[in-house]
Amino acid sequence: MEWGRIIDFNWTLLITLLQFAVLLVLLRFILWKPTLQYLDKRRELIAARMTAAKTSEEKASELVGKREAELAAAKKESAQILEEARQRGEKSVADAKARAREEADRILADARTQVEHEREHVLADLKAQYAEMVVLGTERVLSREVRIEDHRKLLDQLLAEIDEVALHGVKDDS
Amino acid sequence: MLQEAQAAAGGISGADLIQVAKYLAAGLCMGIGAFGPGLGIGNAVAHALDGIARQPESRPALFSTMIIGCAFVETTAIYALLISIVLLFVV
Amino acid sequence: MREELGRLIEHLGQKEIATWHIGGFAMRVDPKTIVLSAIASLIVVLLALFLRRGLRQAIEDKPSRTQAALDFVMDQLQSQLLSNFGSSEFGRRMFPFIATLFLFILASNWLSLLPGLEAPTTNPNVTLGLALMILVLVHFFLIRTKGLRGYRKEFFSPWWLSPITILSEVVARPLSHGFRLFGNVFAEMVLVTIVMAKLEPFAVPIALRVIFGIGFGLIQAFVFSILAVAYINLATEKH
Repeated sequence: MEWGRIIDFNWTLLITLLQFAVLLVLLRFILWKPTLQYLDKRRELIAARMTAAKTSEEKASELVGKREAELAAAKKESAQILEEARQRGEKSVADAKARAREEADRILADARTQVEHEREHVLADLKAQYAEMVVLGTERVLSREVRIEDHRKLLDQLLAEIDEVALHGVKDDS
Repeated sequence: MLQEAQAAAGGISGADLIQVAKYLAAGLCMGIGAFGPGLGIGNAVAHALDGIARQPESRPALFSTMIIGCAFVETTAIYALLISIVLLFVV
Repeated sequence: MREELGRLIEHLGQKEIATWHIGGFAMRVDPKTIVLSAIASLIVVLLALFLRRGLRQAIEDKPSRTQAALDFVMDQLQSQLLSNFGSSEFGRRMFPFIATLFLFILASNWLSLLPGLEAPTTNPNVTLGLALMILVLVHFFLIRTKGLRGYRKEFFSPWWLSPITILSEVVARPLSHGFRLFGNVFAEMVLVTIVMAKLEPFAVPIALRVIFGIGFGLIQAFVFSILAVAYINLATEKH
């Protein structure tokens, strides 16, 4: 044994390199190869689990979506039914109203025509009475019999005037 | 004059002077050689810290890059050390 | 004790060289360094065997403590060492080599913490050997990625620059790579030995040794492997 210098290159360099190469081979078989395989396998497992979880989650969300769609459809249907019922009710109310109005109109019209008839009747009566009363009045005034046939023309004119008055009298009076 | 000095120093020979020069040179070499890398590494670490302070999430990348940079900067100090060792023990 | 330390300082940093005669061939070797590096390798192998126990359980089971340790080590190594590779595929292929390098250097550096032992990395033969191995690997990858023609062009493309290129790439790079590790560990050893020989209370040098040994040993091992990664990465880059 001798003391070498501080920086003294010798065969130690190669021998330690050889040791390192042996260590490299040993570790490759002891540690790296199985460990990296193991880690890969576990990563795959985790990835598979993740995809499984994701698919189940997707399925669940799909189910939820379906349920929600069904719910929305049901809600829509019920709303539609309600709307229809409302419309039907409105329609029946409107129908009833229309019918009532029709009835009322009809009754009114009937009443009006009846009133018209009465009035015509009364007017005709009045006309007849006018003629007689006029003749009577004239007889009194003239103190002799007046025959209607003799003064037919005059009477007709008078009646026409009375007619005129009866037709427009209301307007003239007011 | 020279002989007087030699007598006072107790007979210093030329080999002793060479020895003195070696030690002096080795010390100077290391001192001056470590000056630059010291500044350089300080600069590098300061800027890396700046970056980490600004973006803490980039710490791992910055750290390893800083280590590589420091190693490169250190190289001149390593050469100085080598030369010092050579001066001290080999020459 | 004092005399022993004085003797230590007298031959500070020097190695005892033995001459082995193998087949009529004289080989100067340093047996102590060889034994020390064998011990470091053994520690790494033992660590590997311990970590391997984490593989025993089935994948589906909850991780045990050894498996947690294995996970931690693999995680740290992969995240710290592989992140600097350009392509992750290549990084995966190089991972066992780089990780082994790191663990070996780490075990070597931390060997100085055990009493009576010193780090085999205080011998420049070990560190320079590793650096030369990296150099050979780098040039192998250079030839593989660029072809022989590209490899020649890399070094002789402006012919007048080739001396500088060769000097910096082939000579200076492994020298600085190897001597960085050596210089740091060696300086630590010298410092701790001198302080130990000169200082009376032993707490100071022991604290110094622990701080230097653990922190600097880890950092230097990391730097060495990261630099190896950087060099290999540079060599495999396609332009």
